[in-house]
Amino acid sequence: MNRTSQVSVTSRSGAQPALFGLPRVFWLAWRDLTLEFRGRAGLLAAVFFLATMLLILGLALGPLRSDLEKAAPGVLWVSLAFAGSLLAGRAFGLEVEDGTLDDLLLTPGSKEWIYFGKFLFQLMLLLLVALALLVMTAGLFYLPLKAWPALLFTVFLGTIGYAAISTFYAGLLARLRGREVLLPLLLFPLVVPVVLAAVRATAGLAQGLPVAEVADWWRLLLVFDAVYVTVCSLLFPLALEG
Amino acid sequence: MTPPLVKTEGLGKRFGQDWVLQNLNLSLERGELLVLLGPNGAGKTTLLKLFSGLLRPTAGTITHSGTPGFVANPPAFHRHFSGLENLAYALRLAGRPVDLAQVSDALSQMGLPPAKAVMNYSSGMKKRLALARLSLLRPDLWLLDEPEAALDTEGRKLLEGMLSEARKFAGVVVATHERSWVGQASRVLTLGGGAG
Repeated sequence: MNRTSQVSVTSRSGAQPALFGLPRVFWLAWRDLTLEFRGRAGLLAAVFFLATMLLILGLALGPLRSDLEKAAPGVLWVSLAFAGSLLAGRAFGLEVEDGTLDDLLLTPGSKEWIYFGKFLFQLMLLLLVALALLVMTAGLFYLPLKAWPALLFTVFLGTIGYAAISTFYAGLLARLRGREVLLPLLLFPLVVPVVLAAVRATAGLAQGLPVAEVADWWRLLLVFDAVYVTVCSLLFPLALEG
Repeated sequence: MTPPLVKTEGLGKRFGQDWVLQNLNLSLERGELLVLLGPNGAGKTTLLKLFSGLLRPTAGTITHSGTPGFVANPPAFHRHFSGLENLAYALRLAGRPVDLAQVSDALSQMGLPPAKAVMNYSSGMKKRLALARLSLLRPDLWLLDEPEAALDTEGRKLLEGMLSEARKFAGVVVATHERSWVGQASRVLTLGGGAG
């Protein structure tokens, strides 16, 4: 039997141009952050995991200060990547746990704003964890914080790329069983370039290299961020359709 | 002439090898109440989801105009938020201005406490909250999956009043097992198959 399928929308009275979705992006991110802090489960699990991981790595790589200092940039970013994989599902986990994903999908207009709202939430969550991690790595692994503005900038660029991909995959897998297992498997191969560039930039700053010598890694991170955010936001509506 | 809120031509939906709906042709205008009857698994909820755009058809075409609003059975809310917060965020995410006094008023009309966390709501209270959300969002197409389920007598009266008000500006589709809806319906569609 020859079957064709087609969906068309004549007009959706609530549909708005993308620009006017900006307040909704911030409201969605703010709502999810509020929910995350009220529920606490995801954030507490990630911080506890981080503390345990850093302690184990410290014991395994120490006790010589020079060894710990050398390992610090790698420890920082590998720990953030692992803790990030725990938090990666939170962007849509909140919707799945409460069964509210359909309500979100029924909001008027195109669906890119949902991606940006969830991305912003994921970014803020990762930045909070990254800040805690930076302090812990400085304490346990002697990561020098002299160049802290440049370090923060590196962390910011690295987390943008990570959050862009994890938000996309979290949305893509939101309705699937076994998403907790699939998410890190899909996520890690794509974040490798971001983590590598971020490690190199952090290592340069830790060695006291001038900013001009680290700037190439920042440029690379910026390119990855721009590509990942653009591609993921464009593909996201298709990912939600399944 | 305004286009129908939803129009289907040869609409079909298949899950795996099983066709739940086949060759469905219908349209719905503002002011109409379409009642979907049928046994469990007949495709009532599937049809509501197709109307809302949450599902895509396997066959045929479906044309929407206007915004849909969907009350699932059971309805879903963020359990850590109060009723007031859930409704306020629903309006904000729909790109609507939020008047908290109006939201509180909608909650009190439904007999709901504004500050109580939804995790402490009963099933009937959640259903009332879903109806309050729909009345604030005022979609063009009201899609209700077993709206009477979990509602007490008072709740059912509120529902009836709300739907007669909604029919002044919107189309309404109700999926139900209760034949009492037939008397109010503009049209009744009985779906076959399913478990029955």
